[in-house]
Amino acid sequence: MKPAKMPLEELMSSGHLACQGCGATQAMRFALKVLGPKTVLAIPACCWSVIDGSFPNSCIDLPIYHTAFETAAVVASGLKAGLEMRGDTESTVMAWAGDGGTFDIGLQALSGAAERNEDIIYVCYDNEAYMNTGIQRSSSTPVGAWTTTTPVTNFKKRPKKNMVEIMAAHSIPYIATASTAYPEDFMRKMQIAKETRGTKYIQILAPCPTGWKAPPELSVSLARRAVTSKIYPILEITRNGQKLKVWKDFKPTPVRDYLLAQGRFRHLKDAEIKTIEREVEDNWQRLLAKEKMLESIPGFGE
Amino acid sequence: MVEKVEFKNYREMPIRAMTISSMLWNLTGSWRNVRPYYDFKTSPCRLGCPTGENIQRYIYLITEKKYDEAWKTIIEDNPMPAITGRVCYHPCMSECTRKDYDEAVNINALERFIGDQGFQNPQWMEKAKRSKKEKIAVIGSGPAGLTCAFYLARRGYPVTIFEKEKALGGVLRWGIPEYRLPNQVLDKAIASILESGPIEVKTSIKLGKGISLSQLEDEFQAIFLGIGLSQSRELGVKNEAGKGVVPGLEFLHRINSGEKVDAGKKVVVIGGGNTAMDVARCALRSGSEVTVVYRRTINEMPAISEEIEEAEKEGVKLHFLASPLEIIRTKNTLSGVVFQQMKLGDPDESGRRRPVPIEGETFTMKVDTLFTAIGETADLEGLEEKLEQKWNLILTFGENGNTSREKVFAGGDVVKGAASVVEAIAAGKKAAAKIDRLLANEPEPEIEDPHTVGIEDMNTDYFTESKRNRVPRIPQAEVTGSFREIKTGFDDVLAHSEADRCFSCGVCNYCDNCWVYCPDVAIKRLRDEYEIDYDYCKGCLVCVHECPRNALSTREEGK
Repeated sequence: MKPAKMPLEELMSSGHLACQGCGATQAMRFALKVLGPKTVLAIPACCWSVIDGSFPNSCIDLPIYHTAFETAAVVASGLKAGLEMRGDTESTVMAWAGDGGTFDIGLQALSGAAERNEDIIYVCYDNEAYMNTGIQRSSSTPVGAWTTTTPVTNFKKRPKKNMVEIMAAHSIPYIATASTAYPEDFMRKMQIAKETRGTKYIQILAPCPTGWKAPPELSVSLARRAVTSKIYPILEITRNGQKLKVWKDFKPTPVRDYLLAQGRFRHLKDAEIKTIEREVEDNWQRLLAKEKMLESIPGFGE
Repeated sequence: MVEKVEFKNYREMPIRAMTISSMLWNLTGSWRNVRPYYDFKTSPCRLGCPTGENIQRYIYLITEKKYDEAWKTIIEDNPMPAITGRVCYHPCMSECTRKDYDEAVNINALERFIGDQGFQNPQWMEKAKRSKKEKIAVIGSGPAGLTCAFYLARRGYPVTIFEKEKALGGVLRWGIPEYRLPNQVLDKAIASILESGPIEVKTSIKLGKGISLSQLEDEFQAIFLGIGLSQSRELGVKNEAGKGVVPGLEFLHRINSGEKVDAGKKVVVIGGGNTAMDVARCALRSGSEVTVVYRRTINEMPAISEEIEEAEKEGVKLHFLASPLEIIRTKNTLSGVVFQQMKLGDPDESGRRRPVPIEGETFTMKVDTLFTAIGETADLEGLEEKLEQKWNLILTFGENGNTSREKVFAGGDVVKGAASVVEAIAAGKKAAAKIDRLLANEPEPEIEDPHTVGIEDMNTDYFTESKRNRVPRIPQAEVTGSFREIKTGFDDVLAHSEADRCFSCGVCNYCDNCWVYCPDVAIKRLRDEYEIDYDYCKGCLVCVHECPRNALSTREEGK
């Protein structure tokens, strides 16, 4: 893997309130470099409603609409409609929400907007728990993880919700997952999202060193290991949910290394790690099988 | 400094909650307890190079297609990259971090590539004018002498080179066969050195014959002796003197003078070093059947393994664990050699296992010519009693080549014994710097403690495995029977592909990674440089961890 190249323009500035090594902040910086100055953001309650600063200051040189927890998608829809009413069809509207505001609390609004195929980009920066409020479990928290509501004596037993499949079921034009460790890939996907009409859903793994109980310098490294250990596949779903493309061009690394580098998994016993390893491999195989199956539908290869 | 906007009462507030200022007033640098900073280290290749070439830098410059700067970078430490790029035993490549990942970068081939570029662009060589009055004599024009003359002439000293042969080059001309180092390459390299500054050349003058050291000391302010080793060591066996037993160096000298030498059908070379390999391969090219006889085994051979492989590939036979005992002569012509069968005993002081004769086991080989290549000695006639010596070599003090006489310096093989071209270059360079300090009355420079990096310091996530690019060669069929240069060298495409493999250990090559991943936008991307804004750097150290080449270090705040 070669180091990334990216545009020089900065729409995000220093002085923000993110923790050290924050993945969500990196993700925002990458996204804004693609979207450019003609962009409006809708941010629900999440880390980013704190990161950007206290009223009337903001680290982002763009209009931001801070919304209630469950309403990112619907506010973004309204913003887009309002802009269009005023004759501005050019500006991009992006809802930028955490996994809590996407997987759990904002799912209804997102589902509604996606079903109507509103012309918005919905980015979920996935740090796998309610980090802003103090690391509570969300439905995005992976199996085996510690959070303050799933303590080590009773760590999370249920798997991570498959949000991508839910979004694919809405037949929207573009769905992708990404990781902060692969900025060029993420920025390419943001570019596609910017150029596509209709609802675009992009979910980017944004490590939270604070909540994952890992040293901040490992932020990017963990985002990379999550992908190379096949825990967090990087994929694109196009043609209204009909075509799946999984990124496979990497050197696989052990699941165990990824888990044990983080404090939130350190309580796991050997047998539990083995179970997770098996599940990761099963999920990966199922994903590849699905990719192949969709390719083999007659007339779909063209 | 941006002021924080605060409202004193509700009347000052805008009608809607809206942003009217940035967060730049918030100096998050105060959160930091560890500070990252750019800290370039010395690449291990550079430490491995006896003359300390800035290898990382010139390879980086190749990737940037700045060949002129790459050439000038090498010239700082080595005035003859086209030569070392062909004949160096490249200890740099044994230190290359990449060897612990897949295969070492082919530094040697890249050096040759840049050296050859230099021949095509003679304007790259800056011409120095005489700016100093002190005159300097350099005795011997091998790699040590030429290098010493070059670096002194560059500093503006008028240099006179004395050479006993008709042409310059020393071991480069007489010891290294054309198939490794063509004469025209050597001629070009010497010409470019001679043109670089006020250098005068006096050939066919041998120290001790016509001129003496004390004469030179009267005329010159400093003298450098780089006279090398010019005599083959004798075997010391019965009937050695006479026709058919030829010193390897003499044979190489004649071959390299362009003479056709018929050594007969069956040729045996005694020895296991580089000279033995050169003699064997030259004899093979002259049409003989060649066997190299060495008293230990292939593992103990001092020759570069690449040379041994090449020799075998060309058809040289290797015979181990045998040592000549007696030369058989019939009517004063050589007819055969009696060999003693050996076995390996305990290791000696060099760490290699000592050969021990097996009593009573001998064998006889039919031989037309026997070449001796068991080592070379210096010809110190004319120097005796004036300079302290040790083991028939000139004794030096410290690493700058000081001898027992204040104005006289020495370096290269005549000091180290049979060593290498690059070590001779290093000795010449160091002596030149020392002579300059002596004449200008400057203090010794402080020795820096070079901290280096290894594979464990690299972030290998950013590298992909790749094979080393091999140097293209002429077809094997054309190798035998011809003195044509075997290796043809890299072209642009191969050079770039190989230069791209360099990890640039410990030195920034502007990959942008630190700037890309900084969550706090606290790294400024300037022209050819990055700068950390400590007003905002929170000290997450993502930049340090994600730097593929360990060009950043950390320091605890307040310490």
